[in-house]
Amino acid sequence: MTQDNRSGRPQGRPPEGDGRVSRVEASLRGPFLLFFVSAVIWLLAASVLGVIAALGLGSSVGVLRDCAWFTPGRIAAAQQDLFIYGWGFNAFFALNLWLLAQLGRFEFRNGWLAQLGGVAWNLALTYGIARVFAGDMTGYRLLDFPREVGPVLAVAFLLAGFWPIVAFARRPSGHTFASQWFVVGASFAFPLVYLLAQLLVLWQPASGVVQALAHSWFVANLLQLWFGASALAAIYYFLPKVLERTLTGYYLAPVAFWTFFLFAGWTGPAALVGSPVPLWLQSTGVVAAAMMIIPVIIVAINVHGTLCSQGGWARAWNDTTLRFVSFGAVAFTLAGVLGGVFAFRSMSALVRFTSFATGLEQLLVYGCASMVVFGATYFILPRLTGALWPSAKLVHVHFWATALGFLAAVVAWLVGGWQNGQLLANPAVAYADVLRAESSWFLVLKISAVLLLVGHVAFALNAFGMILKAPAPAGRHD
Amino acid sequence: MKNLNTLLAGVFLAVALPFGALILSGQSQLGGLGRAAGEEGGALFPSREPGLAIQGRAVYVSLGCVNCHTQQVRPAGQGSDIARGYGVRPSVARDYALQSQVLLGERRLGPDLANYGARTSQINVETLLTDPASSGAVWHPSYRFVDAAQRTALVAYLKSLRQDYPSPEAKLKK
Repeated sequence: MTQDNRSGRPQGRPPEGDGRVSRVEASLRGPFLLFFVSAVIWLLAASVLGVIAALGLGSSVGVLRDCAWFTPGRIAAAQQDLFIYGWGFNAFFALNLWLLAQLGRFEFRNGWLAQLGGVAWNLALTYGIARVFAGDMTGYRLLDFPREVGPVLAVAFLLAGFWPIVAFARRPSGHTFASQWFVVGASFAFPLVYLLAQLLVLWQPASGVVQALAHSWFVANLLQLWFGASALAAIYYFLPKVLERTLTGYYLAPVAFWTFFLFAGWTGPAALVGSPVPLWLQSTGVVAAAMMIIPVIIVAINVHGTLCSQGGWARAWNDTTLRFVSFGAVAFTLAGVLGGVFAFRSMSALVRFTSFATGLEQLLVYGCASMVVFGATYFILPRLTGALWPSAKLVHVHFWATALGFLAAVVAWLVGGWQNGQLLANPAVAYADVLRAESSWFLVLKISAVLLLVGHVAFALNAFGMILKAPAPAGRHD
Repeated sequence: MKNLNTLLAGVFLAVALPFGALILSGQSQLGGLGRAAGEEGGALFPSREPGLAIQGRAVYVSLGCVNCHTQQVRPAGQGSDIARGYGVRPSVARDYALQSQVLLGERRLGPDLANYGARTSQINVETLLTDPASSGAVWHPSYRFVDAAQRTALVAYLKSLRQDYPSPEAKLKK
């Protein structure tokens, strides 16, 4: 909690203290709230599915197992899609738009277009999820929806997610910030990647294993160029903003940006080490994944360097926004370092096909991106609604439940995956024994799924309570 | 970094270059693969999939089996796949050349299925789906709700999964 806020409520109240918000923020209120409320609803749905999936781990008679709609494969696909496309995309539509509008003093006059995109996105997602539960899946993770959903999502993205680029183009001053580069990059790269992947995996499938290659390229780009870049944009904004100081070694940020975008797109085949694709492709992916250490180190210098000076960590711990954001920054560094190390052939062979890859992915999309979004929300929502967070206790419950739940899960995925890999590498250990050894981590994953659900419910109650109590928007315009 | 066009051009190249170099050249290298004989004058492999197996693949995808099963055998030195009996040789790109939908998989919560057809009987599959506990499988979910026609197709698909034939590339890999 903030040191100057004895009520224990998070910071973020408009500086005027009279509930007024700027015209820029007032113009963002409608689209932001649509995206944000949608994101939280999808997050809750994904969390419930996460609990159902976790309870079924290690059991052949798990929850709802005799119902065709709830096979483990369908639940896993729906849960991931809800989390990535429902929570992740809606949340970053809102956050990226807010960031670039703030930094570019962009007064959003076409909010209805973004809202139309948001509605289209969520309707297409609902339809896609229903089809997944009905068993109409493609078999490609994160491209699970039937192919007719893809074009709708692409058009909806252009309507909902392209505005940050417009805000950048219309900014009044020539000066730009790292946050703007990352958001513009993410908003421009994703539709390209998504359309190309749709084309080569679903509409005009490439030959044989090239489908798997295109799929791995898509997943790497989705995770790095959308989630990673959007999260970095928020980290680069909120850290100096809340600490009220410049970032350590900020002059290196352009190098971080270009190297991040330069190498991320090549990392896909690193997930195919040992697979029946040409060795040169696998090696290219490994080299690119190792080279990603460059932007990771620069981001670490910028972010951790700042946090390590002048009591930065203590201030971050005492500020709700920064507590979540710095948690996300640490997760980003960890994901980058582990991703580089475990891309190498010998390491990859050990953890391939285990839960280790899930752990790495979740470090980025939950530990980094989602925690950063949570932190950003604690800063933005009071400014947009002119209200305070209703309950400080729920903020505490949110942080501790999500942080502990995530840490428990990531340890189970990474350490459990490592152990599992070592057993798998030894052919003398029967496969059934390998699985039984893995099941010792399932209890941790079950507790973690429940903790995450509790944290998300606390967040939703607080956020929705705040939005519902907010005064009418017309009274808050300047 | 102030010019939007420069920024967009850079990001475009960051997407386009890997796409061209990885995916399009991958397609150019592997797109022409077809059936081939492992030895001169030998039979052509991989075999064409029977119609029922194609229907079975749709059932496999629909149930989400790919979430827990892979279909690829890594070479010796990259895991213990061959030592575990998942295959007699590593998988090669040609094994998948005729498949309209390639389901390599990313996670093994169950055994690899690349050669399932070469190492099991129809009865095993039927039992696995209807009464997994008695089949000895650890944690395998029950799929009792799968109707007989779908089960038959799925069994045909699983039986069609085999990479135990000679392949020119596999020889080179050895």
